[in-house]
Amino acid sequence: MRYRLEAIALASVVVFIGLFLYTTTAAPGAEFAGSDNVGSSQIAALTGREVESFTPLIPQWEPPSGEIESALFALQAACGGLVAGYVFGRWKGEANRSKLD
Amino acid sequence: MHIMEGFLPLEWCIVWWIIALPFLGWGFFRLRRVLDADREALPLLGVTGAFIFILSSLKLPSVTGSCSHPTGTGLSAICFGPAITSVVCLVVLLFQSLFLAHGGLSVLGANIVSMGVVGPVAGYLVYRALRDSRVNVYVTVFLVCAVADLCTYLATSLELALAYPAAVGGVATSLGVFLGIFAVTQVPLAIVEGIVLALVFKYIIQLKPEILFRLRIFPERAITEARGGA
Repeated sequence: MRYRLEAIALASVVVFIGLFLYTTTAAPGAEFAGSDNVGSSQIAALTGREVESFTPLIPQWEPPSGEIESALFALQAACGGLVAGYVFGRWKGEANRSKLD
Repeated sequence: MHIMEGFLPLEWCIVWWIIALPFLGWGFFRLRRVLDADREALPLLGVTGAFIFILSSLKLPSVTGSCSHPTGTGLSAICFGPAITSVVCLVVLLFQSLFLAHGGLSVLGANIVSMGVVGPVAGYLVYRALRDSRVNVYVTVFLVCAVADLCTYLATSLELALAYPAAVGGVATSLGVFLGIFAVTQVPLAIVEGIVLALVFKYIIQLKPEILFRLRIFPERAITEARGGA
């Protein structure tokens, strides 16, 4: 089958989203914090310290808001997308040209 | 998988930097060698690096009530080996620690060791074991990527457990606690990541099989077989 892998990928993403929707409705109180943050609060619990008492060893710039953070994450993905799209497009063009020749 | 800035004691930051640095040095050396030998490897490096950029920027809500990143390092580990992958991870993690406050400069070494060294090395070992076997190319790519992702989180848990052993039960108890947070979130993500990267590999095989032959990434027989099927 020509598109078997595509079908599997699509199915796995659908199952993943389905599971996500199920757990969010089954556990309405669940907070979708990043696992990084959950890890950080676990460290605080293990050491008996407040999360706020962990201060950066090297001063760090923080995105002024959640929106800006999302924008920068999107920028990171866009950089990757540009490069991947460019290279795949170039390869596709090369393949087409060699077919014409 | 990021350890946040300030959440690792200074001595552990130094330990992980000392482990990461030789790997990065070896990675820069290998990168020059590979690109000097074959400029056509550059687009492939671009693609594998691009997917690390894309996948590690996605904070996906996982089924267990938490968000986590895929790592995307498996593909690069297959095509270029773990050393070069660690250099790509350095770029991604540096971007995230400078502009996103995800990770940080002092914990960069620890984050490079988990995402850029342990994950890719584990994936690479799977790849070496399966490369010349009869296992389908796509299944191999899937397994490598899933294992690289999971081992990255294993390494992060271990780094945290070593720095913060529990009062009762020590490192082992802490490890269990951190694994409980990361591993459960990560298993579904690792599976989806493996499948998606196998799909990306399919497009590389279809569009540019020559580069895979030239870099001897998989035996020609396996690539030809894969072009016919899936």
